[in-house]
Amino acid sequence: MATTMMYIEVTVITIIIVVEAVLSAVARVFGRWSRTVYGASPLIVFVFLANFLFRISLPGHALSLQSIYESLQQAYRLIAFLASFSIFFLTTTPEELGMALTKMRVPYMYVFAFISAIRFTPILAEELQSIIDSQKSRGLELEKGNILTRLKRFIPILVPLMVNVLRRSYELAEAIEVKCFGAKKNRTYLRELKMKSKDWIALSLSIILFSLAIYFKYIYKINLP
Amino acid sequence: MIAIEARKLGFMYAGSSSWVLKDIDLEIYEREFVLLAGRSGCGKSTLLRCFNGLIPYFYEGELEGEVKVYGLDTRNHPPYILSQYAGMVFQNPDNQLFALTVEADIAFALENLSLPRDEIRERVDWALKVMGIEDLRDKSPNELSGGQKQKVAIASILAMKPKIIILDEPTSSLDPASAKQLIDTIAELNYKLGITIIIAEHRLDMLLPYVNRLIVMNDGRIVFQGNPRDILEKYDVMPYGVPVPRVVRVAQQLKKTLSGSTISRIPLTVDELVQDIRRWRSGK
Amino acid sequence: MIIFENVEYTYPNGFKALSSINLEIKDGELVALMGENGAGKTTLLKHLNGLLKPSSGRVIVNGVDTRHATVASLSRDVGIVFQNAEDMFFSPTVWEEISFALHNFGYQEEVIKKRVGWALKFMELEDYRDKSPFLLSGGEKKRLALAIVLAWSPKIVALDEPTVGQDVLQKEKMIQIIRQANQQGKTIIISSHDVEFIADLQPRIILMSKGKIIKDGYAEEVLTDLSLLKECRLIPPQMVSLTYELGFLGIKPHLGQPEDIALEIIRRLR
Repeated sequence: MATTMMYIEVTVITIIIVVEAVLSAVARVFGRWSRTVYGASPLIVFVFLANFLFRISLPGHALSLQSIYESLQQAYRLIAFLASFSIFFLTTTPEELGMALTKMRVPYMYVFAFISAIRFTPILAEELQSIIDSQKSRGLELEKGNILTRLKRFIPILVPLMVNVLRRSYELAEAIEVKCFGAKKNRTYLRELKMKSKDWIALSLSIILFSLAIYFKYIYKINLP
Repeated sequence: MIAIEARKLGFMYAGSSSWVLKDIDLEIYEREFVLLAGRSGCGKSTLLRCFNGLIPYFYEGELEGEVKVYGLDTRNHPPYILSQYAGMVFQNPDNQLFALTVEADIAFALENLSLPRDEIRERVDWALKVMGIEDLRDKSPNELSGGQKQKVAIASILAMKPKIIILDEPTSSLDPASAKQLIDTIAELNYKLGITIIIAEHRLDMLLPYVNRLIVMNDGRIVFQGNPRDILEKYDVMPYGVPVPRVVRVAQQLKKTLSGSTISRIPLTVDELVQDIRRWRSGK
Repeated sequence: MIIFENVEYTYPNGFKALSSINLEIKDGELVALMGENGAGKTTLLKHLNGLLKPSSGRVIVNGVDTRHATVASLSRDVGIVFQNAEDMFFSPTVWEEISFALHNFGYQEEVIKKRVGWALKFMELEDYRDKSPFLLSGGEKKRLALAIVLAWSPKIVALDEPTVGQDVLQKEKMIQIIRQANQQGKTIIISSHDVEFIADLQPRIILMSKGKIIKDGYAEEVLTDLSLLKECRLIPPQMVSLTYELGFLGIKPHLGQPEDIALEIIRRLR
């Protein structure tokens, strides 16, 4: 991902995408991976168009092959970027991410906060929807009026949301209290990520590749198409 | 053996000017199944929170008298100690599950208590089995129904192996069939594992067959307590917001109209009443 | 008059919540939608004021096809009290909480005053008019939620699980209020799985299971059909279970108040 941010050259990006395709095939998520990337095509087209329009609107830049090429480069880079993101999220559950954070010795308080955020986001979204439904049924029209009255219209939504979040956090605090949260300094874990030999190989490989990328970019500068 | 003992217990929440609990004297014995009934706001929830140290440790306020859980004074023992004796299950199942899988949720308290991994694994397996939810192990709480969530919540408390489980209206958001299932499972914890149950609930028709002791509360005080049959026979508890099962009302009316011997006991279920009527009819 | 014609509804996540719903509810009826959680009761209620529009088929409320009307305009005729309506308060006072909807619907100030005053009185909340809604007790909050809707006097009032979290005395009060509003000519639609509560109200019952209507009939007929109730994962009213077992006395399964059934038993025993 970081490599993608450093490079814009088409050759490098192509190499990255090929490596990612291989990785996703190894992780047996190739089908879903390619669908995710394909699903992002409207965004990619949008980025291309935005780049293109921006470039030709700059003073001194006329409509040229050069500007099309540069915009294409940007869009291509985005593909690589999205592709690496989707590999990450297709192969890693939030739980594993939490375990990885623990393994990296992130204090448990932060890991817990991270897991709770993931656990409660859908519940809060549901709650927000039910507040909106309820207030709309009382004749609230969110789309009407100018910007000031519109802001005012959000009060009936925001106040209950805040009150409910407060109440919920109180109830949660009570529940973690009876589950002995923070009882002992050194918490144990039922499941823990263990580094296996293949994890070490993967880690070393990515470090090598990344160092190569840095090396060619900043130290031994090479020119690529 | 006495599990919980309250003497002259009173409580007033900080910032309030009225006592929510007044002069409560109570002894709960090991293996009892205790039902707390009364109107909303009568003090049931507050009383339950005195049994595991949430009061006075989590809720601030003025505490009078004393509460002892297996001899431990709740003033000097924080909830994480008391919860290992008296675990608590709350009303809203969503607000007591924090992890992303059922297994992780049941392990949560055990991890906090720093138990060794093998023991955590053993207890998680055991709690899943006792609650009959082994098939839910790898599910996310978001995929579960209300009844399933509440079973997971009980399992997560059960895994701490408490001697007492306290439940605050655990079925109020469930539909009747799920509520009945949950209550039957709770009863099993009581008669199979010998766990003391203290539950605040409105579903008397489902609970009464299992209950040893009914406590009726009103305005922060205990009005009646004792064997449910005795209480329902002697007192009119409906004005206190106790939803007396309709079979009991039928029996009360029968008793009132016929001679006393017809209905020798107050029936708690339809089957009991039908048996009594059959017996009386054949004996006549 | 409410008409559902072949209504299907599928949530964006692909869950099919309603299928082939055909239904007609006349003005002034008292109707209960019954079924377990997830049977589709709330989804159906949300079609009444256009919060949800059918994926196929149509819903017609007082002659208006809900697909072509806004929630705000439909809500004038259809007031919905959601299960957690008491979690939706936001105003500094009870008075303002009630007048909010009336302002939205564009009523004149004098009319608002009259309507809010009436609603407070009807729900016995007059003493609380200047209090914060957050300071009310559970039962009072539920009554405020009802006052809010009744204040704009919609022809149709829908109540989603009105008894959840309510104690037995609050439920009795709820029955009185519902009966009164129904006598004033309002169409009342209640979604509930509280069998005893519905048995006391004796409404027309629409039994739902897995997004379908599987029975539409009157309380006496529906609530005495044990196999049907079982299919919908509902537990029969205790008096039905009792009278069902009393066949040997010549008593037929039926609904009724415990005291009446006791007298009936005595008559048969003698």
